[in-house]
Amino acid sequence: MTEPIKVDIWSDVQCPWCYIGKRKFESGAAQFGGDVEVEYHSFELAPDTPVDFDGTPVDYLAQRKGLPTAQVEQMIERVVGIAESVGLDYDYDHIHQTNTVISHELLHFAKSKGRQLEMKERLLKAYFINGEHVGRIPDLVEIAVELGFDRDEVTEALESHRFLPDVKADVALAREYGINGVPFFVIDGKYGVSGAQDAATFANVLSQVQAERETTP
Amino acid sequence: MTAPLPVIVTPGLTLTPLGDPTAAACEGDFCAIPDHHTQAIINRKLDEDAV
Repeated sequence: MTEPIKVDIWSDVQCPWCYIGKRKFESGAAQFGGDVEVEYHSFELAPDTPVDFDGTPVDYLAQRKGLPTAQVEQMIERVVGIAESVGLDYDYDHIHQTNTVISHELLHFAKSKGRQLEMKERLLKAYFINGEHVGRIPDLVEIAVELGFDRDEVTEALESHRFLPDVKADVALAREYGINGVPFFVIDGKYGVSGAQDAATFANVLSQVQAERETTP
Repeated sequence: MTAPLPVIVTPGLTLTPLGDPTAAACEGDFCAIPDHHTQAIINRKLDEDAV
């Protein structure tokens, strides 16, 4: 019996292409049909963002990039349209722009319980669809409790920041791989696939890796 | 024809790139929208008679 193909995915919670890419990857993996083992890794796109940014994502981008508000709104409208095409109903009117480091700590906490994938999906949904805050400990604890985690245990984990070294280790490994943007997929530890590729591309890549395994002694 | 992709070489680890090098990604605090995505949206709006 062959080992599943390992796919390590670097991603941030407030990265619109990461959620879209997640859907496309899932679709591609389904088309591929073989065994795939996914592990998410932390990537902080904007680690200097305050937890409570005073403004909307439009304000944030306009301030950071010096772009006209109308241009930013047009960009967001396009992203929302692309998200819709993969079944995601992004609600940019209610997004809380924030610092995501503690949400990454929560992802590592969930991974320690063998439930990282469930938490990843829930946090992306929280940020892009539900308009929930993913930067503050009390809000993140509520999300974890909703998923069935123990309130005291998750509160202790987040308040002590005992998973912060794991977040930083992921970021350091991304740097070693030369990863500058997300989503980024490392397949079998050998192949790098950058961005929200089409589902068919993911399926082809996985098939190619599988075929290579079968021909390599 | 697409040019061959460069191999990503770092001091520690080496990856062979696969897939479409123009796929959408976020870098820093900016999430670029590739041209083909923009065109796809325009095409869809035309199909839906929204333009």
